[in-house]
Amino acid sequence: MTARLALLCLVLAIASLALGPADLAALWARDPDLARTLFLELRLPRTGLALLVGAGLGASGAAAQALLRNPLASPDVLGPSSGAALGAVLAGYFLGAGVIGMAIGGLVGAGAALALLLALAGRGAGTTRLVLAGVAVAMLIGVAITLALTLAPSPFALYDLMFWLMGSLNDRSLPQLALAAPLILAGIALLVRAAPALDTLALGEEVAHSLGVAGRAVQLRVIAGIALATGAGVAVAGSIGFIGLIVPHLVRPFVGHRPGAAVLPAALAGAALLTAADVPVRLLPPGIDLRLGVLTALIGAPFFIALVLRRD
Amino acid sequence: MIVRAPSSHNSPRPGLRRGGRWLLAAACLAVGGASAAAAPARIVSLNLCTDEYLLVTARRSQIASISRLGADRQESPLAARAAGLATNKGQLTDVIGQRPDLVLTMGGSQQAAALARRLGVRLVAVPYPGSPAEVAQQIAQVAALVGNPAAGAAFARQLAALQQTAPPLRPGLMIGGSGIAPAQDGLTAGWLRLAGVAQQRGGSISLEQLLVDQPPILIRNVYRPGQVSAPQAWTRHPALAGLHGRRVAADGRAFLCGGAAMPAEIARLRRALA
Repeated sequence: MTARLALLCLVLAIASLALGPADLAALWARDPDLARTLFLELRLPRTGLALLVGAGLGASGAAAQALLRNPLASPDVLGPSSGAALGAVLAGYFLGAGVIGMAIGGLVGAGAALALLLALAGRGAGTTRLVLAGVAVAMLIGVAITLALTLAPSPFALYDLMFWLMGSLNDRSLPQLALAAPLILAGIALLVRAAPALDTLALGEEVAHSLGVAGRAVQLRVIAGIALATGAGVAVAGSIGFIGLIVPHLVRPFVGHRPGAAVLPAALAGAALLTAADVPVRLLPPGIDLRLGVLTALIGAPFFIALVLRRD
Repeated sequence: MIVRAPSSHNSPRPGLRRGGRWLLAAACLAVGGASAAAAPARIVSLNLCTDEYLLVTARRSQIASISRLGADRQESPLAARAAGLATNKGQLTDVIGQRPDLVLTMGGSQQAAALARRLGVRLVAVPYPGSPAEVAQQIAQVAALVGNPAAGAAFARQLAALQQTAPPLRPGLMIGGSGIAPAQDGLTAGWLRLAGVAQQRGGSISLEQLLVDQPPILIRNVYRPGQVSAPQAWTRHPALAGLHGRRVAADGRAFLCGGAAMPAEIARLRRALA
């Protein structure tokens, strides 16, 4: 399963690197320097970020669903994604922070949103309470993003709302990839390392405790992991929906429905889904600025509906 | 669109009754000039572009207020001339209290025109200009409205001089944040031709396209450079460093309207491209 998903990611990554408005092979023959610039400065960051941001969202979704023991938990539904966007917006538009500062803002925002959600709903809360609290947090943060962009000094800032709410990988740069990659990878590593503990937690808190798993410590590790994996991605690519929600459901049947064991496959499946979704975006003629979140929802929603129907 | 104001507003007497000293001076001037007798004494502009028209045609004493954009140094190169003038928020309802005898705006809406008619305010909405020649016509129109036709003729002479001395055309590309390029047949391209640059394409241009099909001259439209936004971030993309051609910065404020501030900007661009 994991190997096959990794292979799929590789194939999609090669397709993603090869596709684009310019014919890279022809350009290489004509002007190798320019071809190298185009490849390194434009295509590589885009493909790299598609893989990493998708992986971060997939892993975060799987870990959130495992920790909260709730199938609707995911960074985009319950607030960490919007929290990351708000953090990045505040850091970038008001504190004049650069790429690094915006990433820090994203991490802090995602962590704070998740902490707020846990404080409101508590771990192991019923589905209704958790989802209501999450929707309330996400709505509040969404409005706060709009407010922040309205009050930002630049008259163009409000137009950036679509980027922050729907996400985009257009014109990302190598420094952004270099910054986000270690943070997202560190977050995924934290979440993967917490996977066995998450599986144990699924047996119930008391059983887990008797097996030597401290709920509090796992919770902190997972929050830190989601903050890194989601926050860094959102800070450079906006909040891209649906991946964190659906990808864990897609992979869980293949890992015996163990929530923790789904974390790594969910990361790979998230990477594949986002990379696949980004291919049509870049093949559209210029001027049609289709947001990535639109495509992930278009691809993801039918899968999700099918899952819901099959469950009944 | 144009609504006649009550005739008393056209005479300097109401101004005298309200008793500002500068109004007294304006009234003396108005009485002295033959054609200026009917010139409006309390003119308001609601739009950045008509602000610029007003600043190059009207006397300061005639201007009751301009839009806040016209007085903002980040929005207009002519903002220095607006120092000390009152500003408005660009809405007709904001300026009714200033009892304007002429309100200028660009584009305008049906609602604003209807409201002006009901309130008995004389509202002149000039259309969006499509060429430098249309800008000159509009400035002449505003100059005539404010009773200073000489200012309209002066701008027309400036434009004619630019046209006569226009350098030979070279292909180039003006581009702003997010890769948005002005249309090839629009107002901006018309001004660029006077600077000796033929706009190669218009519309949205991706970084990849820009790198592969590099313009010999790249004119960067620089507007609010210090403020964070996605278009602004685009202009700092490292891939842009891979462009080989000539690169010149344009004052995005002048190109916002492509209006009264353009002759100076075109002269500056010519020097930068020489």
